[in-house]
Amino acid sequence: MSRPGFVLEVDDRTPPLIVHEGEGFRLEKFPTGTRVVYSPESLPGLRDVDGAIRQALDNPENSEPLRALLRPGMKLTIAFDDVSLPLPPMRRPDIRQRIIEQVLTMAAEAGVDDVQIIAALALHRRMMPSELQHALGERVYRSFAPDGLLYNHDAEDPDNLAFIGTTDQGEEVEINKRAAESDLLVYVNINIVPMDGGHKSVPIGLASYRSLRHHHNSHTMVHSRSFMDHTKSAMHHSAWRMGRLLKDHVKIFTVETTLNNNVFPAPYEFLNKREWEWSVRDQASMLAARRGLAIAPSKLKRRIFQNVQAPYGITGVHAGETEAVHEKTLANVFRQQAVEVQGQSDVLIMGVPYLGPYNVNAVMNPILATCMGLGYFFNSYRGQPLVRKGGAVILYHPVPYEFSQLHHPSYVDFFEEVLAESTDPATIEERFEKQYATDPWYIHLYRTSYAYHGVHPFYMWYWAAHAMDHVGDVVWVGADRRAVQRMGFRAASTLADALEMVSGTVGRSPSITYTHNPPHLVADVR
Amino acid sequence: MSPSSNKSPVRFVKETVQEVRMVARGWRWGRRPLVPRSAEPFQPAKQPTVFPTAWARTPIANAVRDVVQRVGLGPLLRSTVTPQVAGLDVLTKVKGPVLFVANHTSHLDTPLILCSLPDEWRRRTAVAAAADYFFDTWWRASGSAMVFNTFPIERRGGTLSATPGDLLDEGWSVVVFPEGTRSVDGWVSRFRMGAAWLAVEHNVPVIPIGIRGSYAAMPRGRGWPRPGRLPVRVRFGEPIWPAEGEAPRAFAPKIRDGVARLLDEDATTWWDATRRAVRGDTPDPTGEPVASWRRIWAQTAPPVEGRRRGAWK
Repeated sequence: MSRPGFVLEVDDRTPPLIVHEGEGFRLEKFPTGTRVVYSPESLPGLRDVDGAIRQALDNPENSEPLRALLRPGMKLTIAFDDVSLPLPPMRRPDIRQRIIEQVLTMAAEAGVDDVQIIAALALHRRMMPSELQHALGERVYRSFAPDGLLYNHDAEDPDNLAFIGTTDQGEEVEINKRAAESDLLVYVNINIVPMDGGHKSVPIGLASYRSLRHHHNSHTMVHSRSFMDHTKSAMHHSAWRMGRLLKDHVKIFTVETTLNNNVFPAPYEFLNKREWEWSVRDQASMLAARRGLAIAPSKLKRRIFQNVQAPYGITGVHAGETEAVHEKTLANVFRQQAVEVQGQSDVLIMGVPYLGPYNVNAVMNPILATCMGLGYFFNSYRGQPLVRKGGAVILYHPVPYEFSQLHHPSYVDFFEEVLAESTDPATIEERFEKQYATDPWYIHLYRTSYAYHGVHPFYMWYWAAHAMDHVGDVVWVGADRRAVQRMGFRAASTLADALEMVSGTVGRSPSITYTHNPPHLVADVR
Repeated sequence: MSPSSNKSPVRFVKETVQEVRMVARGWRWGRRPLVPRSAEPFQPAKQPTVFPTAWARTPIANAVRDVVQRVGLGPLLRSTVTPQVAGLDVLTKVKGPVLFVANHTSHLDTPLILCSLPDEWRRRTAVAAAADYFFDTWWRASGSAMVFNTFPIERRGGTLSATPGDLLDEGWSVVVFPEGTRSVDGWVSRFRMGAAWLAVEHNVPVIPIGIRGSYAAMPRGRGWPRPGRLPVRVRFGEPIWPAEGEAPRAFAPKIRDGVARLLDEDATTWWDATRRAVRGDTPDPTGEPVASWRRIWAQTAPPVEGRRRGAWK
């Protein structure tokens, strides 16, 4: 039986606690009285995953069974979540592979010939062949990729985009043409956080910049409180309007899956456990990992971390009509991640790990570290933020002044040129977004190389807009001073220094909350 | 800091030592691990495991223990505290097995009782010890079983371990602390039913024992007695027999009254305590409901022997 999440109050019995910081972690002794939010323990995974998939496809929510929707001569498109999910990548076989194999088996039995499989990556970088093989398996890849029937969505190919229409709020809906013109679009999702899934899948994953700009902007992000709660997220409201419009034009069969919190494999299992329950072996593993990382060259460290593959269990598979499916999916996600927290605090502390959705197999650059800390982690709440309005946020990450030239070319220019002018999301959006979004070189790299779209760093910055609007002070512990200064933040060497630095905002004896994340959690702040 | 100094072997060794120390302190190496208070409600219930202790009552183990207790435990105890024992002559009136029932305030209580007993009684006495405390690791379990002849008893579960009854049937006397745990302030707390149930079920007498001063000498939280060889008083009382057909629920208060009377007798005189007991005026061993510090204050004073009366006034 998995134990629920809970809020620890640090006392004299509390050992030092793990704080993630990029490609490493530290042991931190928090001040007495600090609240530490722990996610629920990993739920048991489904024993028969293939059986659960079959059951979901045969008995879908608000829809006919998948078999009944398949017929000879039809146009079938299967779209799936890209490399940004799950985090860390799942140990083989990936759940997308298991679902798509069953969908394809049914399609073959029904005599469907025209099948295409698309990675729904919107403006993310294209998936590499090895990543496609990892996500979909060798069988699917070998059957479809050589004929060009398994490919990455291209949001900058005007010939392969279809304009669907405009919502009642004037939002333009434009998605992948093949998907739009299919008799059936099956979308296979991995719902690792509550932000994912629902109408965020097709209307965003297969969309173009023209469509995305309506919800990926600083205004909606400031008014998404939080974007982990789709009922209170302006971004999701927009995506939902688009999804409802889209469903009148395309038959969509959604398959959503949820994972448990079994994030760290051996020998890093101690990172999944509560520290005071560490066995001697866990303590030894931690010490060995710490000391090993202290002397490992940075390339080796990166390889070690990027090679981590999580032994996730699957907690649910639901299929059918998007909204009905998503409701069940969210219930599963919150069952695994929701923790009740009483009230806000003056200071929120978060440790930013080595990996976010946009740096799989790459370094986490300063903008992505900000997006991870002030975007994803800050927004992991329902109700109200964990930190009070005008409070302070303390983040742990080395924030290296380092960018992947392959994946993040526009980030470098964004960091050097745009942030030098302003760090205000709205100002940046107004003055620079269009230029980056339409830059032919970035578009070329996005379409032909493995680069994120030119506008992507802007979105990452908007992701943090709500936090920047809400908090009064942001300090990074152990960070590169030059890098955080450019982003308008400050760096401290230790937690004590950081608390000293924010004392002007929150006083000398602030209430402190530390979110022990990962494993993922969503705070229900009452 | 230059990158080369980050990789300096001296610095690496220094940091490694610091981290090992931090872990040793944080995870209390060599001491019992502690759970943060706010995390206690979320701790999983420990799976009861039965640690075999029969080996500790084999003739060889008995012989080794006899030597350990006489040569090691006894002198060690007498070198750290000053035990004063009274009332041992009651043991001449009964034959084993018996249940020794005492109030419990300190880890000193078990060695005090064992080292106070005459050798022939000590060699045939076993001690009921909390399974979740003394039997949580193999080395603690083996050590306590070897030195004190302890056997595990489940104090949290509703079921009583079968072992104490078996031991009584085999002729072993058993030491039981019916409070189930050491007192937090030195005063007596609620007695559980286990001892009464055992006495009734196996028809054995209960020898009450009143211990005073062990809280002052070594309260909860201390790993070693306070310096100064503080006096600790152990007083054995008259055996209490369960009446024919008496229910454990009716017998239990008699055991508690027996211990309470001994504590009163030790603080005053036998005669005064007896008269008070007849009147039903025996002081409540749970103490006055006053501020916590006053309760602790009263118990941390070294015990004074009951009023000495000169033969000639």
